[in-house]
Order: sequence, then structure tokens, then C-alpha cells
Amino acid sequence: MDASASWRTETIGERAGGIRRHAAATAWVVALLAILGFLVVYPVLMLLLGALTDTNPVIDGFGVFRLNIDNFIAVLSNPNVGEALVNTLIACGGGTAVAVIIGLTFSWIVVRTNTPGKRFIAAVSMLPLFAPPLVAGIAWVILGSPKTGLINTMFKWMNLDLRVDFYSLSGLIFVFGVYYAPYVYMFTASALRNMDPSLEEAAEVSGASAFATLFSVTFPLIMPAIVSGMLLSFIVMLGIYGIPAVLGAPTNISVLTTYIFRLTNWSPPLYNTAAAVAIILMVVTGVLVWLQQKVLTGRSYTTVAGKAFRPRSLDLGRWRWFTFSLAIVYLLVVVVLPLLALIVAAFRKFMFIRDAASLVDMRQYSLMHFNAIFDNPLTLRSIYNAVEVGIITAVVGGALAFAIGYTIHRTQVTGRGAIDLLATLPVAIPGLVIGVAYLWAWIGLPGGLYGTIWILALAFIARFMPDTVKVLSTSFLQIHRELEEAAWICGKGMLGSIRTVILPLARPGVIAAMTLLFVLAIRELGSSLFLYTSNTMVMSVLLLDYYEGGNLGKTAAFSLVQTVLLGVLIGLANWLSRGAAQTSVGRTG
Amino acid sequence: MMKKMIVAAAFALGVSQANAQDFGSKELIDAANKEGRLVYYTANFAEVEQQVINAFNKRFPNIKVEMVRAPGGQLITRVKTEAAAGKLAADVVDHSDRALMAELVDLFQDYAPPNAADYIPEAQISPKLWPRATLVWSIAYNTELVKNPPKTWMDLTKPEYNNKQIGQVFAASGGTTWTRIMFERQVLGEDYWKKQAATNPVLFPSGAPTADSLVRGEVSIAPLLHNAIYPKQKDGAPIKIFFPPEGAPVNPYATGIPKTAKNPNAAKLFLNWCLSLEGQTFMIKELGNLTSLKVAPVYPEGFDPKVVKVWLPKFDEYVKYHAAWVEEWNKTYGYRQ
Repeated sequence: MDASASWRTETIGERAGGIRRHAAATAWVVALLAILGFLVVYPVLMLLLGALTDTNPVIDGFGVFRLNIDNFIAVLSNPNVGEALVNTLIACGGGTAVAVIIGLTFSWIVVRTNTPGKRFIAAVSMLPLFAPPLVAGIAWVILGSPKTGLINTMFKWMNLDLRVDFYSLSGLIFVFGVYYAPYVYMFTASALRNMDPSLEEAAEVSGASAFATLFSVTFPLIMPAIVSGMLLSFIVMLGIYGIPAVLGAPTNISVLTTYIFRLTNWSPPLYNTAAAVAIILMVVTGVLVWLQQKVLTGRSYTTVAGKAFRPRSLDLGRWRWFTFSLAIVYLLVVVVLPLLALIVAAFRKFMFIRDAASLVDMRQYSLMHFNAIFDNPLTLRSIYNAVEVGIITAVVGGALAFAIGYTIHRTQVTGRGAIDLLATLPVAIPGLVIGVAYLWAWIGLPGGLYGTIWILALAFIARFMPDTVKVLSTSFLQIHRELEEAAWICGKGMLGSIRTVILPLARPGVIAAMTLLFVLAIRELGSSLFLYTSNTMVMSVLLLDYYEGGNLGKTAAFSLVQTVLLGVLIGLANWLSRGAAQTSVGRTG
Repeated sequence: MMKKMIVAAAFALGVSQANAQDFGSKELIDAANKEGRLVYYTANFAEVEQQVINAFNKRFPNIKVEMVRAPGGQLITRVKTEAAAGKLAADVVDHSDRALMAELVDLFQDYAPPNAADYIPEAQISPKLWPRATLVWSIAYNTELVKNPPKTWMDLTKPEYNNKQIGQVFAASGGTTWTRIMFERQVLGEDYWKKQAATNPVLFPSGAPTADSLVRGEVSIAPLLHNAIYPKQKDGAPIKIFFPPEGAPVNPYATGIPKTAKNPNAAKLFLNWCLSLEGQTFMIKELGNLTSLKVAPVYPEGFDPKVVKVWLPKFDEYVKYHAAWVEEWNKTYGYRQ
């Protein structure tokens, strides 16, 4: 009697526990879906509605929609949209190819070779991420203009019969490629670092050369990282406005983003048409994401197991100076030359440069542009605001992305597919248009979100959710289940195993994701344009103001300020995370 | 020493008080100072407007002007959307495209400056909206690159300036450019665009990057709003500017105070100052504007009203012809919209 009673209570207890766990899981999924619904679905629906009508949902009310597909017909039958689409695909496709070559080369050099100065090369490989696209574009206008570019001035001075013209599709491909290589680098470097070298050793024992091993074992093994990096860099390029705007404008080369910007900037502005173009851009991206999923399903890429190893480094012999010089050339192209161009523009009174001699004429230089920007009270306020938005975005967005990434990759709960889809969706929407969508969606909400820093932060969190989740996912994908299972066997609950196993192992990924969010938030221009108010002006908007105000000197000076600020903050983040990284290396090694 | 300073300060204060009365009643100034701030939406360049704000603050240092600057189309969308949601934050809205503002007249309250009678009636599209700034077109060239400069609008069609020497702002960019486009067609002739486009000019999205490109030597000659290029010449850039004799197209702004303004007194005082003789003179001398006052206090450097006639578009035509003419312009210039 006693025994059976206790048996029965146990079963009921177990059942209750199961139900409780199930209820908790459901509540968790519902909560995540609700957050994503607010951040992503609702604004996207507003965008879709906008594309399907000729009205502004906030102004005209929800009652008067004249639903039709006129905008789509207008857009699809317009040959210029087709041309912009083709230009977009060429520029982004070419740029991605360049980015993959650069990113993969440097991640291999840094992680797998004995090239000298690897820490330095690792830092250099991430540097272009600091550069806001508008700044990079402006720097390359100064350097690469066919008429007045410094490179051409130098060629002339050296009596070389060479000319460069960056106001072209190939110029665009080059600049895209070198500036978005860090996305590929980020993914592939962490994958290479976490890869079990025993597979490569096996290949070499079987007689494969180092080179053959690279292409037959190493790269195929980190394929998900390569594909993810490729996809992300392609998608990021799709959404970039600053670079094609300044390089493409002089020769009237338009891509989809510059086309959308023009639509919103005409008088009268054509937002509904812009929304329709944005939806086309979303479809292109959607197809890409689907392709990536298809490539990746059905294969296991788990390479981090509960076994200790250290990544091997290949002895390159004399060739290590060659790989080192590659890094120096890259540094020269992405950092030194553009920075020099910006410095010249920021300190020079006027950018008319007759010849090389006039370039070094010190009478032409002064601090007048710096004095002018710091005379403007908006400058300091925009810096303060940008940092505040950046921190909120990094912390809140990082936490949310961790929750989403964990749910997608480490649990079997129903509804995680929907979460994955919703978290990936914003990648496809160009910032400029989603800015309008957020404005339409959120301005009417009670509680006064509009006009605060938070509306900007929420927009950035939503907009960069895919980037953050992707960066984190790579870390999640590589941590073998057996580590977590071991924690469960040792009596840890789910939260306990997250805290003691997943979080420490994924920490480099988490910190990378948060730093990335911070940088992206500070750089973000498109979606800020509609959401800032007089009190919440941020740096990127002010920078566009300076650029549109037609003063290259002030623009360059403010770009330098922004670059230095980002450099300092990122250095700080790196320094803070160093302790963490060392601990985690200690644990795995 | 201390006493001296106090006397000096009191004197300075007294002087500014006495002059300040010209811009509004004592009650208005007190109320404006009590509000202490205003939110200013403008489509003009932030840099230019910051100078206006600084000059205003020399007169009224206790009123902080918070500026939101956006290109024309985006600014209108912001105003419309905020207003519809009942959250219009602006105390003053300042826009270059009077046609776009005409649709929003109901948002604005009745307002007139103390010197309302001194303004040209044609510069206004509604008694609520005032020509706070009046911009004028000119032609500028880079003196390092152009040895034989043009002297008229018609000169810009000459083959000697062929092949990307001339920079042009494209027609759809906004109200000020639309004014110039109308002028070219109505005054210079129906085939002016065709002849000008034959020189294969470089097209720009707005005046500011055009002016910058001119300074850098990317283009050698460009029709420009005088206030976009004059400050650069003043700073010593290798630029010369002239007002062609066929006429100077001008574009008055439309500026008003929304009914929902939270700082209406500060807004009124700010506009009173901008529209006053002092405000207009400042904008003419320092920024290179014209004015819509019946009697201009002064003209920008190089502008001789005896030689150059001001050209103001008829507002009904300004609205009526816009779509069709811009499309035709795009075709003529091969600009892909």
C-alpha cells in the first residue's frame, strides 16, 4: 500500500515535471515569437501594405487602403529597375568573390601558418569593419577619381602612363570586396581555429601534400563557415548605400539601394514604389537564404568535440614573408591609403590639388574643418547618442540573439523553425526602407517610444538580428552535444549547462557578436534617417548631413573622429574580452 | 574692475534689450525666453542653418534652437507622418518646395511677422507660410581650370564646354532645381535643354555635392544655388561666381509654425528675427541669399539688380507642369529614373 502510493506519487510527480517543462518550453517559444513579431513581422507587414497601396498607413489610416499591385507593375516594367538589379548582382557577386579570396586567405594565414606578426594580421583583417560605408566611399573618391584622384596624381608625378577609374562597376567590386572581406574572415577564422586537426593529419599521413590537404580536407570541412560568410557579405553588400552612392553617382551607375534612396528623395517622394523595390530586394535575399539552408542541410559539420587539441600551424619556410607581405598590402589598401586620403581632405583647406607638389604645400593645410565641426553643438551630442545607442543595441541585442541562437540550434522545441525564419528576415530589407517601416509601425504606439534613443536601438536590434545570430550560430554549431549531455548527466539543468558549458565555450562568439552589433549600430545610417529626432541625432546621420552639405573637408574630419572613436572603443572591448578568451582556451586546451 | 564689468554688462544687456523689441513685444520675448527652446525642421543645409541659429542666438542667447535637417522629400514624409500620429515635434517647419508645403497648409497656425507688409505677395503661397529664405541661382566655375569662362546661360550650350566639364543637378531633386528647370524652358527657349544636354554634363543629386566637385575640379563649371557655393568662395576656394544677364531664377522657401507647436512664442520670435531686416541682411551678406522683401536692404556680391532680373515662377505652373516636364528633362539628359 505504502509502496504503491509512493510509486503513484512518483509517476504523478514525473508527469507534472514533464508538463511543467513542456509548458515552460511553450511559454519560451511564444515569448520569443512575440518579441520577433513586434520587432520584425509588424514592420514588415507595414512595408508590404505600403508596397501594395499608394497611401501612407499612418497618415491615411488603415481604413482607406486601395489594395493593388500598381507599384509592382510600375517597378517591374521599368527597365531602369532591371538595370539596377543587374548592376547590383554584378557588384555584389564580384565583391563577394573578392571578399572570399581575401577573407579565406587571411584566416588561413592567421590560424594555420607560422607567418610572423599573426596577431597584427588578425587585427588588420578586421579593421575594415570600422569604416562606415560612406566614409570608405568618400576615401576612395578622393583616391580613385579618374579626374582628380590622388592615385592618378601620383601616377602622373611618377611619369607613369597609368590611370585608375573607380567610378565604375569594377571600382565598386574592388571596394566592396576589400571592405566586406572581414565577414568571411570572421566565420572562417573561428571555424579553422575550432577544427580538429586530426583529420588533416590523417590526410597527410595518407600522402596528401599540404596544398592538397587544404583544398580536399580543410576548406570542405569549414564549408558552412565559408558559405555563411559568403552569404552574409553578399547580403550586407546588397544593403549598402554609401559606397555605390558616391562611386556610382558620377557615372549614373545605379544599384537597388541607390535607386530606393532616390525614390525617397525625389520631390514628391515615392515611398510606396520604394517599398515595392525593397520587396524585390527581399525576394532576392530570401532565395539566397533558402539556397544556403539547402546547401547546409543533411550534413554534419561538428568538428569541436570534447577532446583537447590545438590548431596546428604549418611551417611556410621562406614563404612566410610572402604571406606577411600580403597582409601589408591589404593594410595599405584598406587602411593606410584611405586614412591618408581622409587626413589630407580633413586638414586641407580645399581639395583642389593641381599636382603632387601642391599636395605637400603646407600652406594649404589648417585645422579649420575640425574647428568648424566642434563649433557645432550637434557634433558632441551625436557622438554621445551614438555610443549610447551602440551600447544598448549590443547588450540587449546580444542577449536576444543568444536566446534565439540557443533555441534554434540546441533545442528541439516546436516553433524553432519559425523563430529561425523570423530572425533571418530583416537581412533582406534595406535599412532605408525599413526605417520608414519602423516609423509607420511604431510611431503610433502608446508610451512615447518615438523620439527616444530606444526606437533607434530597437530598430538596430531587429535589423542586425540576422548578422548577430549568424555569428553566434557558428559557435553553437561547433560545440558538440556530448559536452552538454555530460553536464546533464552530472545533474546540471538546462540553465546550469548553458551557464557552465555553452556560455564559456561560446564566449568568444558572444563577444564577437556584441562587438559587431556595437560597430554596426554606430555605423548604421539608413534606418536612422527616419527615426532620429532633434534630441537623438546620431553620428552617422550627422555625417551624411556634412556630406550632403557638400563639404568634403568637414566630412573627412568627422569621419576621422568617428574612426578614432570606434578604434578606441573596440580596442577597449578587445582588452576586456582578452581575459575571457584566455580562460576558454585554458579550458579547451 | 568688477564694477566696470558690471556696468559694461548692463550696458550690453540694455542695448540688446532695446533692439530686441524690434523683433516682438516684450510679452512675446518674455514668453519665448521662458520656453527657452524650439525645434526647427529645415530642408536647407545644416551648415548654413547653423550659422543662422548662431546669429539668432547672438540676439537671443537664452533660446536654444534644436535643428532637424533632412532632404526635402524625407522632411515632408516626417512632418506628415508625425502629424498624423499626433506627434509632430516641430515648432517651425522650413521647406524649399512650396508645392509640397501647399498640401500641408492646414497643419499650420496663423502667423505674420511685424514687417509682414514689406514682403512681396507673390513669394507667398499662403498667408500662414513665409519666405524665410530666398535662394538664387548663379553660375560658378573653377578658376584653375577654366581659362575662357562662360558669361551667360546660353554659353553653357557651347561645344567648347563639352565632355563632362559642366555639372548639373538633375530635375527631380527638389523645388529649387525645378525652379531653374522651368526658367530654362520658359525664358531660354524650349530647345535649351536639348542644346545643353548635348555638352554631356555630369549629373548630380543635389547642389552641395556639385559645389564640392567644382571646388575639387571634378567638374569645371556648374549652375549652382548661390548659397551653396558662395561660402566656399568666401573661404578662399579657387572659384568665381556670376549672375547671368538672362535672369536669376529665385526660389522662396515656405516656412510656418504648426498649430501643435509646443514652443509657439520661441517659434514666433525666431521667425520674426529671420524675416526682419536684420535677419534678411545677415542671410544676404553671410550666406549669399536674396530676399523677398519689396526693398532689398543689400544685394549679394556681384548681383546688380539693374543688369540681372529676378525670375519668379508662376505658382500654378510650378505645380501644373512638374511631372511632365521633369520626365521630359530626364529623357533629354538621359537620366534614368
